[in-house]
Amino acid sequence: MLMQFVHVSLGAVLAVGLSQSAMAQDSASTLLTISGEITLPSGDDTLSLDLDALMDLPVSTFETSTIWTDGVHSFTGVSLADLAEELGIEDGQFIATAINDYAVEIPLSDAVEGGPIIAYLMDGEEMTVRDKGPLWVIYPYDSDAEYRSEVVYSRSIWQLDRLEAVQ
Amino acid sequence: MTAKLPKRAIRSRTFALIAGVVAVLAIALLTFNVSREIRLLGSARSDNVQWSLVQTQVEFLEFQKQVDRTPVDLAQLRQEFDVFFSRVTTVKQATVFEGLRANATSKGYLDRIVAFLDDAVVLIDAPDDQLIAQLPQLSALTDEAASDVRALGNSGLELFAQTADAQRQAVARTLTQLAIAIAALIGVLTLAILYLNRLNVKIYRRERENNQTTTRMATVMSTSLDGVIVCDAHGNILEFSPAAEGIFGHSEAEVLGKDIGSVIVPDHMRDAHDAGMERMRDKGEKRVVGKGRVQLEAKHRDGRIFPVELAIQSATTDQGEVFIAFLRDISLRVAAEAELVSARDKALAGEKLKTDFLSTMSHEIRTPLNGLLGNMNLLRDTELSQNQDRYLGHMETSGRLLMSHISDVLDITRYDAGKLNTRSETVNISELLQDIIDNQGGTAAENETSLAWNWRGEAIDWVLSDHDRLQHVMMNLIGNAVKFTRRGSVHVTIENLGTPDAAELMVKITDTGPGMSEGLAKRVFDDFVTGNTSYDRDVGGTGLGLSIAKRFVTALGGKIGVDSSVGKGSTFWVSLPVETADAPAQSQTGIAHQQDSKPLNILLVEDNEINRIVAREMLEADGHTVSEAHDGQQGVDVANTRSFDLILMDISMPVMDGRTATRAIRSGGGASADKPIVALTANAMLEEQKEFLEDGMNDILTKPLSRDSLRALLRQTSGTAPGLGPSNHINAAHIAETRDALGEETFAKLKARFVTEVDELHAWFMSPDAQDFLEIAARSHKVAGSASVFGADHLRESLKSIEAAAKLGDTTAINATIQDCMHTWRKTKKDLVQN
Repeated sequence: MLMQFVHVSLGAVLAVGLSQSAMAQDSASTLLTISGEITLPSGDDTLSLDLDALMDLPVSTFETSTIWTDGVHSFTGVSLADLAEELGIEDGQFIATAINDYAVEIPLSDAVEGGPIIAYLMDGEEMTVRDKGPLWVIYPYDSDAEYRSEVVYSRSIWQLDRLEAVQ
Repeated sequence: MTAKLPKRAIRSRTFALIAGVVAVLAIALLTFNVSREIRLLGSARSDNVQWSLVQTQVEFLEFQKQVDRTPVDLAQLRQEFDVFFSRVTTVKQATVFEGLRANATSKGYLDRIVAFLDDAVVLIDAPDDQLIAQLPQLSALTDEAASDVRALGNSGLELFAQTADAQRQAVARTLTQLAIAIAALIGVLTLAILYLNRLNVKIYRRERENNQTTTRMATVMSTSLDGVIVCDAHGNILEFSPAAEGIFGHSEAEVLGKDIGSVIVPDHMRDAHDAGMERMRDKGEKRVVGKGRVQLEAKHRDGRIFPVELAIQSATTDQGEVFIAFLRDISLRVAAEAELVSARDKALAGEKLKTDFLSTMSHEIRTPLNGLLGNMNLLRDTELSQNQDRYLGHMETSGRLLMSHISDVLDITRYDAGKLNTRSETVNISELLQDIIDNQGGTAAENETSLAWNWRGEAIDWVLSDHDRLQHVMMNLIGNAVKFTRRGSVHVTIENLGTPDAAELMVKITDTGPGMSEGLAKRVFDDFVTGNTSYDRDVGGTGLGLSIAKRFVTALGGKIGVDSSVGKGSTFWVSLPVETADAPAQSQTGIAHQQDSKPLNILLVEDNEINRIVAREMLEADGHTVSEAHDGQQGVDVANTRSFDLILMDISMPVMDGRTATRAIRSGGGASADKPIVALTANAMLEEQKEFLEDGMNDILTKPLSRDSLRALLRQTSGTAPGLGPSNHINAAHIAETRDALGEETFAKLKARFVTEVDELHAWFMSPDAQDFLEIAARSHKVAGSASVFGADHLRESLKSIEAAAKLGDTTAINATIQDCMHTWRKTKKDLVQN
């Protein structure tokens, strides 16, 4: 109970911080808009995050090859697990949408430790839209054959800009 | 009994098990492989490449729409361009599009699109005003590229359709392989099932056989009258059959697993049993096992020890070596055997008692009869009236008849007791028959019967046989014939039916008497059989004559029989195997008959007063001097102090019997220690006679004493007694006794050995080895002992002199006595060879 309280409070503080930070920025610099069934201290139903806000969240980095790129690359970003935790989401799924309106469902069950991340750096560099940036959902394909399935590939959405949490 | 499966079955079972496991593993592996294959087929090989290619066109169209849009939204235009750019980069780089890129046509389209992008990006990245200005140019470029983008999509579709086709075929192939593998697997499993089934049937059948065998064995064991016990190498009981339960009193339940030694082996045999078991375990040494039937003792539950007969066999089983013992309680058999033995012993004892009784009775009858006959003998020397003389004759006839009856009974007793020994001596058979014919001539004449004999074929005078027995038999048969025949004839023929060397004498006594019925002829040789009563009155007889004759003939190895018919007469025949012999030297008998005995100094030891008087009268009448002793002790005392020429010794006497007295005289070393001692006895048993001789007696005189027998003895004694001018170096009576005692064959052998012994002794005397006085004495003594056995009395005396001289160490005396001895031996040897 106490842990849950501390957890939620920390999450709230961070969220508020992020929110403040996001609000201080130009709306054009927003990289990711999170909506849906999320609980925010501000009472808003939408959370907009720019690169700095994303980078303030817990950072995950791993190396993997992908079927879309040549060779092994290092990807850095926020893991879905950490994000779901920050947002206080425990079940349901995300509907992830790209800038060209391509949309996939990512069940929250994928959001595990060592699982997919929302990458904002590839090989330590930001990614342009032409390089499938600025945000790209990357699974650690090399670590588990389970991640080398068509379903997972379809969930590996690039040029991500929206997330909606649904039950 | 648990039958272990053979190794082949175990191997098969293992094989089936392994095959089963392999099958399961193979199926699992294949299933996993197939599911993985299917999964990969569905997803893993690629992203949804076709969708991506289509998406390329979609995104291109989105971009083219923004290019041609009025008014233009630059941000949107740039974003759509970037999205399209990103897509083409993916097609250009992603591994999943390798196949596409390998296709030359597709590669051409892709290269042209990349070229378009290279051109367009310059315009897109230019500042807004320049971009707006160059929009028409961009639109033209885009329109130009539209066909390439479309063509790329189409070529990709075709390519991926082919790939999918190939993949489907690969999958189909894999599935076919899988199907074949499964079919093969099913086949293998089917075979395995069939094999296992067959194995199962076999095992079932074997088990049923085992069960039947076990049942059969159990039935055999439970119905066996012999107890069956099975135990292991440590002696622990594994099975205990019902019969064994009956024999030992233990139930199977209470002895199973126990040590057999503690259960059935008697305590006193435990150590031997344990040692045997250990020996068998350690060294595999088997003393009882497999050795057939053995008789041992066993212990019953109640501690009783009883005899058993057992056989043990070993067998090797899964539990190691086991021993199967078959046991039989033979208490009853052993008891029956013991009873039989005891019955036989009792019967023998009874028989001996009877013989002893008869022997004793004959003695008791003979002693007074001896007195009667002796006194009648003396009476003859007195003056008698004619009547008295006739009466005396009757008395003598009666007395002799009584004596002959007693002798008959004794003969039968001896024969039946197996004590009837026969001599083997040279007998002139012709002379023997002639004597009997002569003897019976008077009687035959009285009966007005002619009596004659003759040889048929070649005559043999001298044969080896027992003169007295043969005479007895012939006398009996011829006497009977003469006795029963009135006014007829009795004819005796003798014939050799064998070869001249191995003669088979056939003597036939044919009379013309009354004859016998067939029934009587059959029984005539049985004991106590007599003819009809009227004749018995005439001729008298105990009915033992023929039965004794038969016993004698049988003892001599011959046969006797009769052919007879009533009214026509009888023919008795005797068939007798004999050896022919050379006529002996005539000397001795002739001399003995002629020689009168010299007056002797005689000691008479006899407790019976009448017998004493009779003997004294007879001896003194012949001019001998007689001293008397009334019992053995007196006899010994007198003999030790005075030297007699002869001692007559009664056997049964109070205080000291004759045998003890004889031994005392011989060992006492008194004045008469070396003198001849003659036994006077009614105990005429041969066995006892031998014992008398062993005691040191020289001869035996059977009571009642008769003048003739006494005179014969005295003639012999005077001829052999020391110091009476001996002409003969061998005591004939003595050597005859030895010959009797030993039998002819042994006697001949011993005689030869004795000759060698004396010869060797003399050779030794002459050799330089003869220095030790004690050894000279010892050797002389030893040979002296042998000399006495052969009646070589002179030689014995001579050797004793050497012994005495040697003991004194008198060299001169030794040399003198040895010379004397050699002289004596030369003569003795000569006489000995003739005997």
